[in-house]
Amino acid sequence: MVELQNVSVTYSSGVDALNNVSLKINDGDFAFVVGSSGAGKSTMIKLLLKEIDATSGVVTVNGYNLNKLKKRKIPEFRRTLGFVFQDFRLIPSMTVYENIAFVLRVIDAPVKYIRKRVPYVISLVGLHAKTNSYPDELSGGEKQRVAIARALVNDPQLIIADEPTGNIDPELSYEIVELLKGINDQGTTILMVTHEHDLVRHFGGRIINITDGEIVFDEVISGVTDEPLPEEELAHTMAEAAGAQPQAPAAAPAQLTSTEDALIDEVIAALTGADQGGAE
Amino acid sequence: MKISGFKYLANQGVENIWKNKMMAFATFCVLLISLLLVGSSVLFYLNMNSMILGLGNQNEIAIYLDPNTSQADVDTFGYKLKEMDNINTVDYISKEQAYQTMQNQISRGKAIFDYIDGYDFMPDGFNATVVNNDTIEDTVAQIAKMEHVESVSSMPQVAEFLRELRRVVSIIAGAIIIALAAVSMIMISNTTKASVFARREEIQIMKYVGATNSFIRMPFFVEGMVTGFFAGAGAFFITWAVYRSVYRILTEQGMLMRAFGIGSIIPFDNIRLYVAFAYLLAGALIGALGSVVSTRRHLDV
Ligand SMILES: Nc1ncnc2c1ncn2[C@@H]1O[C@H](COP(=O)(O)OP(=O)(O)OP(=O)(O)O)[C@@H](O)[C@H]1O
Ligand SMILES: [Mg+2]
Repeated sequence: MVELQNVSVTYSSGVDALNNVSLKINDGDFAFVVGSSGAGKSTMIKLLLKEIDATSGVVTVNGYNLNKLKKRKIPEFRRTLGFVFQDFRLIPSMTVYENIAFVLRVIDAPVKYIRKRVPYVISLVGLHAKTNSYPDELSGGEKQRVAIARALVNDPQLIIADEPTGNIDPELSYEIVELLKGINDQGTTILMVTHEHDLVRHFGGRIINITDGEIVFDEVISGVTDEPLPEEELAHTMAEAAGAQPQAPAAAPAQLTSTEDALIDEVIAALTGADQGGAE
Repeated sequence: MKISGFKYLANQGVENIWKNKMMAFATFCVLLISLLLVGSSVLFYLNMNSMILGLGNQNEIAIYLDPNTSQADVDTFGYKLKEMDNINTVDYISKEQAYQTMQNQISRGKAIFDYIDGYDFMPDGFNATVVNNDTIEDTVAQIAKMEHVESVSSMPQVAEFLRELRRVVSIIAGAIIIALAAVSMIMISNTTKASVFARREEIQIMKYVGATNSFIRMPFFVEGMVTGFFAGAGAFFITWAVYRSVYRILTEQGMLMRAFGIGSIIPFDNIRLYVAFAYLLAGALIGALGSVVSTRRHLDV
């Protein structure tokens, strides 16, 4: 569970990265966070990881009030969540196995459990053959799958992902999100920041748009996967198979669950605006 | 923490040395040089000290008793003298010996002595050396108060000079050792900092997955300790080899030995255990602390 109540963050440089943001993500939710570059998305993620503190407002994650969390309690808190970053953040001197097992060693898990659990999550992300490889020997997509395996090995309540698909091929992005969706189906809450609007449109779900440090949109939209493949999506997939960049559909592909067409249009406009304005 | 967890962290520490060979080697070299610098200055100082003390031990107290003292009293006096705390060796000089010496010293005096009958007029004497030359004057004063003593003398200037010399040597050596230790600390801390800096991301990742500071530090501690231990061992063997050859060269110079108290140079065998212990302990301790302290500013994430 993630809750922000009137949270603002002002960096020491004077930049107001978040401005009076309130947000609640319930257990078991899957939420996308979108917004243009510099909007404050990563700032929000840093806040949730207790990497930085809110200038004002209350941040609660997995039942921990982060404003009041003592320094020596931070490790205990961080063990309740998993993280996935754009730059993978694997330890280069450790094998795939060791990178993942490390999380369990930190919590002093029994050796027997580690020996069973680690191969299991490695097989979940389909990297069995790479168990003893070093991160340098893996492709971007493989590295990110290792990172995901690491994020879930300790069965966290929440996985936070900051542009997990940022450094990998667009086609592979779908796989990564599928993987996260699968984890979400098992009950883990997932918060994923992304720039890839195709992904958002494809999967749908809860979309939170942050612009200039404020939440300008927070709604559930249904993704294309929820319905039989419409013609455009078919074309989209075919184009993808042909190796072309997936083309953004002109309008929201989803059958709207709400009647607020206008609002959705606004999001799409915002998304497209981000596409143009965002220096990725 | 379970034993398995502890073993894991210790293993990580040793493995890290291998994984970061270059940095570990740099740390090893810097530690080795530092230990050698400080260690050899300490040894040099200890030997200077020992030499000066050796010279001081040649400083004698000459004691003359009342010529009328009976032989029994003279013996008792000699015994009491020997029992004194600061007295090292006691040489008895009988009336007869004193007479002989006097005859020899006055070269043309043979004639004079012809007029003298016997040597009973000569006093019984003792030459004593002290344990601690610094307090020789107190000892002289103490002896002066004893029964039958006619005169006691030492050369206070010698004692004074040696004391002063030792003070100056101590100050200079102390300053040099402190300066070298400080320079070493800076070198060591920079090296370990660089070594830790190269792994700051690793540390950050560990923090993100919820590792406690002590969990992260433990391998660094082991790593620094093992590296420092080897540096200590290296420093010991180098010191041993160099010390022994210098010792041999100096002690072969018989003349030097007498003149400068080189005879008081400490043989390495006498101090081998202490030197080994000091090097290993200092190496392991400094290595461990250095790398642990260097992790500190990277842990705050
Ligand atoms: N450590 C920092 N110190 C000062 N200002 C910062 C810091 N980190 C970010 N900012 C500023 O805060 C604002 C929000 O940055 P943030 O990283 O949250 O954006 P973002 O939404 O993640 O962007 P992107 O999509 O490009 O990753 C930006 O104006 C940025 O320049
Ligand atoms: Mg960002």
